[in-house]
Amino acid sequence: MERRLQEEFPVSWVDDDYVTRREFFRFMTLASGGLAVGTAGIAAWSALSRESRSFDPVRIASRAEMRAGSSLAFAYPRSTDLCLLIRRPTGEFVAYSRRCTHLSCPVDYQPDHDRIYCPCHNGAFSLEDGHVLQGPPPRPLPQIRLEFRGDDIFAVGLMRGEA
Amino acid sequence: MTPTPTRRHGQQAIIFVALLLFCLVLVTIQLWLFVGSLEAHLRGNRAMSIPAAIISATVFGLNAWMYFGVRRIERQDL
Repeated sequence: MERRLQEEFPVSWVDDDYVTRREFFRFMTLASGGLAVGTAGIAAWSALSRESRSFDPVRIASRAEMRAGSSLAFAYPRSTDLCLLIRRPTGEFVAYSRRCTHLSCPVDYQPDHDRIYCPCHNGAFSLEDGHVLQGPPPRPLPQIRLEFRGDDIFAVGLMRGEA
Repeated sequence: MTPTPTRRHGQQAIIFVALLLFCLVLVTIQLWLFVGSLEAHLRGNRAMSIPAAIISATVFGLNAWMYFGVRRIERQDL
């Protein structure tokens, strides 16, 4: 029986488990090559990903509808992407994604501090470019590009900020 | 004084193990670079990824050079 098994499986367990130093060296060199390719892939992904993307224009509101120091929630570019249009006390219009970059809690405009605030973990974002002012968010809020056509305000694209 | 074949073989084995350990350290550094550049990319910081890729490729070149060097030495001994 044992002889027959040896004929069926001629590989010895001892030899099968044995890995020479040269084989291990070759495996490590291959792993090194794989990691180099992976890191190059991340670099390519990083270089090719666009800062700004355009989508179909969507009308949000008219200038007259919004008084200074107020905000308006809207969805852009998809119906599930919540955003916030803000008219600052200076009269300037800005729009940002409403999803906090920390844990996706909805953020709110704070006219008293002229900033965007996340109540979940006390995160705050600047209205200048969406950069993080305080708290745990790891990256800025994506900014919505606006266009003015007469009295109407349109959302036309999305910009990702650098951390 | 010429070393005896046994002594020479022992020296080669020590050098081989030293190179293997060095290779392990280099692969660990590459793993750290890979994870670091992926984390930085997902955080939105893109400044790190290209230098990390260049360093990783250089380290791979060094590893490949060591591996082929060891193989060449082994072939010469046979």
